[in-house]
Amino acid sequence: MSQSLRPYLTAVRYSLEAALTLSNFSSLEVERHNRPEVEVPNTSAELLLQPMHISRNENEQVLIEPSVNSVRVSIKVKQADEIEHILVHKFTRFLEHSAESFYVLRRTAMPGYSISFLITNKHTESMKTGKLVDFIIEFMEEVDKEISEIKLFLNARARFVAEAYLGEFVY
Amino acid sequence: MSYMNNPAVVMDNGTGLTKLGFAGNDSPSWVFPTAIATAQPSNAKQTSSNAVSAGASSVANTGQSSGSGRQYFGNSTSATAFNSLSSGSALMSNNLAGKRGTEDLDFYIGNEALIAAQGPSYGLSYPIRHGQVENWDHMERFWENSIFKYLRTEPEDHCFLLTEPPLNPPENREQVAEIFFESFNCAGLYIAVQAVLALAASWTSSKVIDRSLTGTVIDSGDGVTHVIPVAEGYVIGSAIKNIPIAGRDITLFIQQLLRERGEEDTSLRTAERIKQEYCYVCPDIVKEFNKFDRDSEKFAQFVVESQEKTRRKVVDVGCERFMAPEIFFNPEIASSDFLTPLPTIVDHTIQACPIDVRKGLYNNIVLSGGSTMFKDFGRRLQRDLKSIVNNRIVQSEYLSGTKSTGVDVQVISHRKQRNAVWFGGSLLAQTAEFKSYCHTKKDYEEIGPEIVRNFSLFNMV
Amino acid sequence: MLQLQPQNLLVQKTFGEAVEAFRDGNPLTLDRIVSDFDSTTLHISNAEGNKGLLYLSIRTRAWSSVQRCGSSGGLEEFLEAKYKTQPGVSVASTVESGYDYTLEVDLNVLQPESVVQLSLIKTLVLSYPFQLAFDEFAQLSNTPDSQSQTLHTVQYRDDENLFIKPANDRITAIFETAFQDETDKVFGKVFLQEFVDARKRNRAIQSAPQVLFSHEPPLEIQAHLQANRTLDSSRRFVTFVLFPRHFQTPELQFSTISQLTLFRNYFHYHIKCSKAYMHSRMRFRVDSFIKVLNRAKLDDEDDEDEEQVSHTRRTITGRKVVY
Repeated sequence: MSQSLRPYLTAVRYSLEAALTLSNFSSLEVERHNRPEVEVPNTSAELLLQPMHISRNENEQVLIEPSVNSVRVSIKVKQADEIEHILVHKFTRFLEHSAESFYVLRRTAMPGYSISFLITNKHTESMKTGKLVDFIIEFMEEVDKEISEIKLFLNARARFVAEAYLGEFVY
Repeated sequence: MSYMNNPAVVMDNGTGLTKLGFAGNDSPSWVFPTAIATAQPSNAKQTSSNAVSAGASSVANTGQSSGSGRQYFGNSTSATAFNSLSSGSALMSNNLAGKRGTEDLDFYIGNEALIAAQGPSYGLSYPIRHGQVENWDHMERFWENSIFKYLRTEPEDHCFLLTEPPLNPPENREQVAEIFFESFNCAGLYIAVQAVLALAASWTSSKVIDRSLTGTVIDSGDGVTHVIPVAEGYVIGSAIKNIPIAGRDITLFIQQLLRERGEEDTSLRTAERIKQEYCYVCPDIVKEFNKFDRDSEKFAQFVVESQEKTRRKVVDVGCERFMAPEIFFNPEIASSDFLTPLPTIVDHTIQACPIDVRKGLYNNIVLSGGSTMFKDFGRRLQRDLKSIVNNRIVQSEYLSGTKSTGVDVQVISHRKQRNAVWFGGSLLAQTAEFKSYCHTKKDYEEIGPEIVRNFSLFNMV
Repeated sequence: MLQLQPQNLLVQKTFGEAVEAFRDGNPLTLDRIVSDFDSTTLHISNAEGNKGLLYLSIRTRAWSSVQRCGSSGGLEEFLEAKYKTQPGVSVASTVESGYDYTLEVDLNVLQPESVVQLSLIKTLVLSYPFQLAFDEFAQLSNTPDSQSQTLHTVQYRDDENLFIKPANDRITAIFETAFQDETDKVFGKVFLQEFVDARKRNRAIQSAPQVLFSHEPPLEIQAHLQANRTLDSSRRFVTFVLFPRHFQTPELQFSTISQLTLFRNYFHYHIKCSKAYMHSRMRFRVDSFIKVLNRAKLDDEDDEDEEQVSHTRRTITGRKVVY
């Protein structure tokens, strides 16, 4: 793990832990509704907290937007070149497809980010907050690893395929 | 665009068999099991891989030379391709390519999969269960090999017509679209419901006058029999009924009868051949028994079983000729838990449909699948169903005192019954309009996978 | 499956079945369409009134351009010479309408070896310009300083061409490729680069043809291309330099040709395979993420025990009271 990744992830971890203090909160505007306040246009500023922006470099950033009953976490996954860009796009699409079983995944990412999570007080009540944070940190680690592994695979495969093709010309 | 002139590819992936071919043909080009044999992860990879692939190819070759009509294949299996590679494996630089492996290229589908799975290094699996795709990884590779090896098509140049079972969740359709558009970049895609295609296939029968897409489809394959009502091209999902009696049960029943009689050969293969070659449906089981008693001519049928032309076994075929298919009409003779005869099920199905379409459904009952191929199957079904319907009419006339206009029951058998679904697909995909019904790659890129949730129906009048 | 095979399995199967059925005495009625890569359609049908006679017709995108490579009628003569030696195969007197070339197959005398040759028909059509180039090479190599003006162009897809240029010490085959799909374009670049590097890196395949790859049309065809049309930036040129050792004997010639003519298909096939592999990796990874997330869930049982005792109230019918 490179030197700057550890503090980056630690920063995300502590910020998330701090942000995940959610409570049940009935909507002020619609009776008998209970909406994630970060997601709705909000007139009452006291429900939204200050967003946190953690940035490792311009390619890898996390935006945490807390509110009284929900937190939105948006992650920008490293995309150094065209291939990584395609892979990240493919991968996040696969994730969004199974959003149903992912509970905390937001079906579309916030503009400018690769993938977003929406954690509400319902989630923190039914899941252990610590494990939830673990999940997001692990996710960030694994995605990077996976993308670079696939990229390596692509190169290896291309090499193998090319050699196999040209090998047919050797008599 | 170039793909406009190329024939569309029609693929019907069923639980048991996959039918592949080109639109416009009268029968599928390839029919083989929907099976895939994948390389088993082995620990001693480097040492075993050479021996393994050599072994597999020799297995494949012997298998093929014994298979009839396939003797021309000797040099064209993928086994030889891998073999030639491993013999030249010194060629491959021992870098990442060697270590990372290319296990995902080392697999077989269809009959070759069955042969390869006899060896130790391949594991067999069936990616489709109950008509629906269970393992997408395997299915993707199954398609990959179907397209590039068996059909030899560049998917960018062709439109594809795929089939799906009734009540397939739309998410599965999206998965299919994703694979076909993103992995294969196919030019166009149409996903049709199998029952609707079976209806379209019945248009070849002379009994069909108006080419409507309303009717009841009885689809009986190897594992399960479905009764599916279709109104104007849309499946009435709530009324679909399944019968746990199908081809395999008939085969097992024949085997059981043979064993009870103590025949010389009671293998499943023999039972299956008897089913395919000798069975028929009789109008009345008691009368048929009497006929057999009087007429030894009927009784003395037999199969000559020759194994490698050396030993001959003679198996008598008696009353199972008509008893076996009878389990559709009198299930109690073979099963203890399912007791409703097929005609009653069909009647229940149609009665569960909206009243406006019931006449159309009675009027156009279409058979599809191998287990409906028995001689006079359609005639018996029509007779039994007619008597059920007539009884009901008589009763309602008696109760209400009014005169009914009558209901016409018609069961349609036709020659394309065995691969009816595929044939219906071929019929529709060769029409000039087909390409305009397909969703193209461009549409997909603009709208995304949810585009395949809707396909416009063929309105053929 | 690693390598694509030059022969068409389906043609082999169909003829195999036809021969078998014919020998058993119940000949098949055939009217089948079979396809091959690059907009090639084959048609197998019965002769009218004679079940022992089949027609095999081919229509391929490359036909007209291949025909232009040689003198008029040259391609037909070439194919006829190839098939004349096969028992049971002859050239049909009339070409089936809608197709480019028709062969007549007599099932009475058809041999398995001829079936293989029939299934190679597309490769054979494409081998004609190569054969011309080999012939010209033989002439050129006798006169060391000579230059050839010949450039064979095979338009094998709507917007992709193959150029073959003989010289006195080599033959150059240049593929012009274009990608329709953005993702393929990116992956294709990785693959093409490896084709170029493979020979340099791996000593074992040092004797394979040299591969070059460029965005600009290579010098050999530049003059020709500029005269014809303007270029768009998505085009790639892949050059294979064949040395005499690659086409010394007819067997070598054939394997070189069949390998080269499958280049584009092979290359695209493997892009698709690697996409399939990536997808299966991603599916696996998504599942493992779901497992991690599920670990975060509170145990349902503990949960219920506590809650039922303290919080849940039930109505007389057993329904939960929800606040």
